[in-house]
Amino acid sequence: MWPSQLHKKPYVTPQSTIAPFKLTVQASECGQVDCTRSRHLYQISRFPSAESVLRIWKSLKLAHLQRLSNMEVSYGAPPESVQKKFALPVDSEHKATEFRLFSVAAPHMRAFHLSWVSFFACFVSTFAAPPLLPIIRDDLDLTATDIGNAGIAAVSGAAFARVAMGTACDLFGPRLASSALTLITAPAVYCTAIANSPASFILVRFFTGFSLATFVSTQFWMSSLFSSKVVGTANGVAGGWGNLGGGATQLIMPLVFDLIHNIGATKFTAWRIAFFIPALFQTLSAYGIFFLGQDLPDGNYSQLHKSGDKHKDNFSQVFYHAITNYRGWILALTYGYCFGVELTIDNIIAQYFYDRFNVNLHTAGIIAASFGLANLFSRPAGGILSDIMSKRYGMRGRLWALWIFQTLGGIFCIFLGKVGSLGVSIAVMIIFSVFVQAACGLTFGIVPFVSRRSLGIVSGMTGGGGNVGAVLTQVIFFRGSRYSTETGITLMGIMIICCSLVIMSIYFPQWGGMFCGPSSKVTTEEDYYMSEWNSAEKERGIHMASMKFSENSRSERGRRVESAPTPINGTPTTQTLSSALEFVKRKEHAEKITIKPIKEYAHTTSTSICPSKLEIDIASIPKSLIIYTNKFFIAKPKFLAILGD
Amino acid sequence: MAIQGFLVVSLLFSCLAATSYGVTFSSLQESLVVTASPKHGQVLRAGEDNIVVTWSFNKSLAAGTDSSYKTVKFKLCYAPVSQQDRAWRKTEDHLNKDKTCQHNIVTKPYSSSNNTFTWTAERDVPTATYFIRAYAYNSADHEVAYGQTTDAHKTTNLFNVQAISGRHVSLDIASICFSAFAVVSLFGFFFLEKRKAKKSQAK
Repeated sequence: MWPSQLHKKPYVTPQSTIAPFKLTVQASECGQVDCTRSRHLYQISRFPSAESVLRIWKSLKLAHLQRLSNMEVSYGAPPESVQKKFALPVDSEHKATEFRLFSVAAPHMRAFHLSWVSFFACFVSTFAAPPLLPIIRDDLDLTATDIGNAGIAAVSGAAFARVAMGTACDLFGPRLASSALTLITAPAVYCTAIANSPASFILVRFFTGFSLATFVSTQFWMSSLFSSKVVGTANGVAGGWGNLGGGATQLIMPLVFDLIHNIGATKFTAWRIAFFIPALFQTLSAYGIFFLGQDLPDGNYSQLHKSGDKHKDNFSQVFYHAITNYRGWILALTYGYCFGVELTIDNIIAQYFYDRFNVNLHTAGIIAASFGLANLFSRPAGGILSDIMSKRYGMRGRLWALWIFQTLGGIFCIFLGKVGSLGVSIAVMIIFSVFVQAACGLTFGIVPFVSRRSLGIVSGMTGGGGNVGAVLTQVIFFRGSRYSTETGITLMGIMIICCSLVIMSIYFPQWGGMFCGPSSKVTTEEDYYMSEWNSAEKERGIHMASMKFSENSRSERGRRVESAPTPINGTPTTQTLSSALEFVKRKEHAEKITIKPIKEYAHTTSTSICPSKLEIDIASIPKSLIIYTNKFFIAKPKFLAILGD
Repeated sequence: MAIQGFLVVSLLFSCLAATSYGVTFSSLQESLVVTASPKHGQVLRAGEDNIVVTWSFNKSLAAGTDSSYKTVKFKLCYAPVSQQDRAWRKTEDHLNKDKTCQHNIVTKPYSSSNNTFTWTAERDVPTATYFIRAYAYNSADHEVAYGQTTDAHKTTNLFNVQAISGRHVSLDIASICFSAFAVVSLFGFFFLEKRKAKKSQAK
């Protein structure tokens, strides 16, 4: 903005280095610049070298000093907190910018492994009954209606639980929320062993199904620990490997059952004992999360709330901003037609192959398992693809990829219902599973950007939408004998294609939508995320996390990041400041540098000619003052006077 | 051209024949008379109560009919009321697809009269309403005849079996203990969390 002034450096004459005294600060060579701007005094936590300070000074000039003085810009934890060293490279929010699958370093990768393992355990528990149904239905005297209702019950509880989980994550943090839910649903799995009637069976499946809400805490946790460059990948791998449990359980439970039966238990006892395995696994994973996990790179919610580093947010505000954001609702609907379809297929596909192609039950079970096992690579692939598209095309790329993959999933679903031979049917099913699961991964590449303040509830709504889709689809197409299974599958495919069309209506003013570019009146990421906070809250400074997120989400512009528009409402681009601080950090080998504006000296002159004189009373400033010039330093630096122009 | 057509047709025919070779129930002759000790509506406990089955060849039929019978297999079959809304117990005419009789009782060599045996209902028999059916097999192990304790509409002489529940007191106690442990540790988590937060505040 003042390119011609960049070479002008502040020049000050210290009169004394011993407090208290009066210091005269003179700014010279302002040239043609209007000297009605204020002077700002900044406290810098660590005395940097000349080059560093010059860098900071330049960036402060570029960063609209006026506005900047109203914000606290910190590049690290407040000085009182403990210094943290991260094993992975991190950004300004301490979110990891790399995803290293084979590391268990705390807090990022460790949290990743804990969360996917516990989500896997919950999936195993929820779908542990279907492979053992031939035994259970004889023991409990179940009818086909009972079995259908139990299947619907298993996925319906989580529809609401996922939204509640989202709220809990926003307020209490994902670690406590997910370990609490996993522990509280474990009794339902233990009590499956003592079920003795169709009603009790439906009840235990209903309550066990609540544990599927740990999906939301997984996605929320990954979105809190991984930066926008890798958030799609992290979300996709965590979600995919958890969903794997639905396929793995079709193989695990029959094996466990056979083992126990061979040891000597009768069939009707063996299946009951078998349920202790998923229950114990679930309990242990909850313990793992509680003791080894951490909500945020800087600590846990409860600690950060108490130390004041994290503000405890207001539930009604968080809720309001979640439900008034239409993008959350659209993604909830579309997720119902990728993940909901996946859950439906998990429930009906074994029976479909058994009835239509007359394979035996074991073979049908293996085919059903392979559908779920495709999650090992297909959902992560969706997440990775989302990040790749974003690098090149930004958010628009993510939206297009989601629409294309979900529509292709619908097309292959239509084929699946039409194909009449076993081999081709299995092949089509696998291709269909890859597209549908990749679409799930792609959805959660977009969800972290819909809202920052209400991330948990939006994730919960989307996840819950998946379950609602599963319930709706099963009730409309796969209940009773209105449609044969193959007709139901074809109709489901048509519904997938129709419901995916709404993705076209998602529009982010700062990044654009599928068919439109970003808004013609220049909008920035800050405008979008700051609209979730009112001015009273901004004054209290509790919106800072969203501020940092806005800056980091600039990568969603795709290749256009270099030509970022200057915001017209005056919001400063802090990118230059943080890159300057990054430079300083590296140069000074300092973990953190804080720059805090402490005083603003309003000074006006009526002439356009500087120099102007500014007198600062040292006694009024708590710490010793140092004024920097490009020529010499004074000992005990704590303050840096930056004089505007 | 004609030869190709003939080849295709014979191939198809042999495939069809192979798949449909299975014997159908409607082709079997009811030539065995089977009676069982349970009265209509009696409830037997699985693993405890006995069934005495008496069977013989139906003397009113021609003498040489049973010349091909080699073995007789007895099965416990579901009555229609236990098949309702349960597609996995459906009755099909093709015997290799038929799911009516899923529990084997015993296999005996064929003899035309004075046959009885006693059978204890096994512990994996589910709770349902049953009748007993006997299939007579020839030396190629295909069904050739049958007999059952009930009538053609499967309405008379049906008895119930009450299955074991599979539950044990030790299992019940284990479930409840583990569940209680999970809930208690949850409260432990909350307590620990509060304490940690207070500590960091005090620091």
